[in-house]
Amino acid sequence: MSILANKDTRAVIIGGIAGVNAAKRMAQFDFLINRPLTVQAFVYPPEEGQQKEIYRGGELNNVTVYSSLAKALDENPQINTALIYIGASRAYQSAKDALDAKGIKLVTMITEGVPEKDAKRLRKYALETGKIFNGPSSIGIMSAGECRLGVIGGEFKNLKLCNLYRPGSFGVITKSGGLSNEAMWLCAQNGNGITSAVAIGGDSYPGTDFVTYLNMFENDPETKAVVIIGEVGGTLEEEAAEWLGKEIRRIKVIAAIGGTCQDVLPQGMKFGHAGAKEGKKGLGSARSKINALRAAGAVVPDTFGGLSKAIKQVYQELLQNGTIKPEPELDEKLLPALPPSVQEVMKQGDIIVEPLIRTTISDDRGEEPRYVGYAASELCEKGYGIEDVVSLLWNKKLPTREESEIIKRIIMISADHGPAVSGAFGSIIAACAGIDLPQAVSAGMTMIGPRFGGAVTNAGKYFKYGVKEYPNDIPGFLNWMKENVGPVPGIGHRVKSLKNPDKRVKYLVDYVTNQTTLHTPCLDYALQVEKITTAKKDNLILNVDGTIGCILVDLDFPEYSFNGFFVLARTIGMIGHWIDQNNQNSRLIRLYDYLINYAVKEEREVPEKK
Amino acid sequence: MAKILEGPAMKLFNKWGIPVPNYVVIMDPDRLAQLGEANKWLRESKLVVKAHEAIGGRFKLGLVKLGLNLEEAYEAAKEMIGREIGTSVVRQVIVAEMLEHDEEYYFSIAGSRDGSELLLSTKGGVDIEDNWDTVKRLFIPLDETPSIEAITEAALEAGFVGEIAERVAKIASRLILCFDNEDAQSIEINPLVIRKSDMRFAALDAVMNIDWDARFRHPDWDFKPVSEIGRSYTEAEQQIMDIDARIKGSVKLVEVPGGDIALLTAGGGASVFYSDAVVARGGCIANYAEYSGDPPDWAVEALTETICRLPNIRHIIVGGAIANFTDVKATFSGIINGFRESKSKGYLENVQIWVRRGGPNENQGLAAMKKLQEEGFDIHVYDRSMPMTDIVDLALNS
Repeated sequence: MSILANKDTRAVIIGGIAGVNAAKRMAQFDFLINRPLTVQAFVYPPEEGQQKEIYRGGELNNVTVYSSLAKALDENPQINTALIYIGASRAYQSAKDALDAKGIKLVTMITEGVPEKDAKRLRKYALETGKIFNGPSSIGIMSAGECRLGVIGGEFKNLKLCNLYRPGSFGVITKSGGLSNEAMWLCAQNGNGITSAVAIGGDSYPGTDFVTYLNMFENDPETKAVVIIGEVGGTLEEEAAEWLGKEIRRIKVIAAIGGTCQDVLPQGMKFGHAGAKEGKKGLGSARSKINALRAAGAVVPDTFGGLSKAIKQVYQELLQNGTIKPEPELDEKLLPALPPSVQEVMKQGDIIVEPLIRTTISDDRGEEPRYVGYAASELCEKGYGIEDVVSLLWNKKLPTREESEIIKRIIMISADHGPAVSGAFGSIIAACAGIDLPQAVSAGMTMIGPRFGGAVTNAGKYFKYGVKEYPNDIPGFLNWMKENVGPVPGIGHRVKSLKNPDKRVKYLVDYVTNQTTLHTPCLDYALQVEKITTAKKDNLILNVDGTIGCILVDLDFPEYSFNGFFVLARTIGMIGHWIDQNNQNSRLIRLYDYLINYAVKEEREVPEKK
Repeated sequence: MAKILEGPAMKLFNKWGIPVPNYVVIMDPDRLAQLGEANKWLRESKLVVKAHEAIGGRFKLGLVKLGLNLEEAYEAAKEMIGREIGTSVVRQVIVAEMLEHDEEYYFSIAGSRDGSELLLSTKGGVDIEDNWDTVKRLFIPLDETPSIEAITEAALEAGFVGEIAERVAKIASRLILCFDNEDAQSIEINPLVIRKSDMRFAALDAVMNIDWDARFRHPDWDFKPVSEIGRSYTEAEQQIMDIDARIKGSVKLVEVPGGDIALLTAGGGASVFYSDAVVARGGCIANYAEYSGDPPDWAVEALTETICRLPNIRHIIVGGAIANFTDVKATFSGIINGFRESKSKGYLENVQIWVRRGGPNENQGLAAMKKLQEEGFDIHVYDRSMPMTDIVDLALNS
């Protein structure tokens, strides 16, 4: 038997993520004792309509989130208990709604920092409606072998250690949540475990009190003794003493009261619990509570450590006088084990999961990203630049100072090429159409291909091939290209020619060959090729794509990374164009009719559909 | 409970029509001269100057000066501002009109589980403690407002007469309104004075506690509650409070000078029992501390470092019950980092550390703590099978 929560308890949780986490813990208990899921619905308007995944052992359940308690109860009329997990500013209204709901008999609130007046009103309202309002600041209610409300009892392992899979003979009532768990453990270790445990919360004006629950335990035949853990402040413990002393009670009461240290602490000092505060003239002091409880016949040890002995002693007495009949212990090995998650089993090394992807360049599982092992901040700290990061992430090695200077220049000279080229123009049209930055830049990006900016990779690839296969035979290489590929990528320009050279190419070639010590077999080869092609036609010069491609071959970057340099560099320009158009508030672009040759059919009638 | 200073309390009284004397709060004595030019009452009335700080026993410390003219008030303010009292410094003074009066009354209201209680006495002032039997009490059920007749009757029973009883009842009804609407926990006005010549009332001194948890519905609360421990918070306490305000869960610290047993305990309930155990065994605690609600490890680390710096400590009690959802491994990793950091800075010399804890990931947490032995820490680690507060006995008997 039990009080407050039992096998028939079905709950709704009002609140967000904390409530979902509680539901997961509750489902672990449901699994342990093989009962149906306790939590049947959530109420949390921001997540209306979502389904929360709750595992009861290995069984996956989807629990619906409703926008209001009324809707949740409409679809789940079996719900009789509400758990409040919502923030303090909305806790009052949520709890009041729950107390108003017809089917709900018990409302328990974990929310901390609820205004006193709100708690007082809820207590009064619960009394008027004949319901129970437990909390605020309550960790929950546990009935061994029957029901768990909230995260009381902690992790799965602890549920077993505290024998919570089957009822014992001790009731537990505490103000503190942490100590409710401790008390359950003490009852399991020194006695035969608990029937029910309730945390009433440590606020100044909890919705219920020791006496309410002492009465319930007194009327629960399975409960033979009750452990109460109180503390300085308020008069609930004195009332419990009064209850105990008033008439002969069936149940034994064991108590521990915290706060006797108050005498030596600064006057008016507040402990962790809002309600743990001595009143004027020693009212509600721990000492007066201990004295009252002892006088009424409760067993009250000197320190909390003495509680173990006290429980053991009461348990022995109850065994000896036959009140408690010893029952054979369950073999804990027969209890179900919580199915572990893949991560947990992997940690223990019991299974192998083939990874879905593999990365060889970066890792952000630590405190900061690491690029091929190097911490990003350390790279910054030691004077490395963006060109070194490019080299690390694309080529997995740190370039020399000379190499990184070349990479930097490649990016700098490729960053933009005016608004007329297809990439920039694409971004500008998109910007004018009111498209956002990432999409507008992507519009420009889609232009990069064989005719615009996308020749770097192929240029590098084929010149590299030439160096290898036709080292001293450029006509042979050109022949092979003509037969197998077509025009040589990286050779030729629409506007520039031998007489009107591309300054970027001239600069890059000059820089790399004269100002660095880089060994440039591929670039040299391409320049030899250019000599022959320009002899045929003036504009068949080594263009900027070809130049960059060859230098990248000489820098030993992987072939398929070459276009990346153009993509990276030109992104800078495209973003610039998007910002520029937005700064100017540019309007939508529409082509004028005179820019279009309408080479279309004459107007004609649509035939009937056959 | 959150106590607020007189200035903010006066402001709230004004809002609800409870008569207060003229007053100003200043940080700079020179401001008083300028205010004097603007306000006739400052030039013409007798004044009182009080340190506007949470310091107990201000009168004895010379932080309350009565019956001054503006010039004397300036001197008094100048003398008080910047004075150091223990760990606190006087930064503000309140200068108020010292109303010439005929009688002093006592008014208070305090919350209880079922509502609140109004207390009235005609024998206010410093002697109220001796005249406690003259206090008339009126219980006000939750969410009910007593009629003006009922309050007048209570005032008459308290010994107020005639028109004064009527006026007192009116002020009391406003006090109830203020109490209810401002989420107050208690308000004590002592004295409420009367000058009979023009029937002027004024609340000369007031102590008000408000429910700080209700601040979300009081946009005009432009003040902060003050220390309730009879002294200002120390720098370390303030730092921990600042962290506490920022995190999920909580960390708390109160220093107790002179003690040699430091507490680094978990849980609002368990932490109190640890303090009790130290005191019950004849030890002296150096602090009260508590972390709970699964706080982030860095917050626990900060709390740990603060505690390691407490002077003259011999033991640190890292105690706690079996946690429901506070991750023992994670919070302990914060404590371990704090210990290491402190040791590297030269703290923890000859300090013994005693650990008892249970809860989620307890095995890993306790094992990590135990490993500190290899790094030269004098640390003793126990699991759930050790009765909770018995590590205190072990520490004190060592």
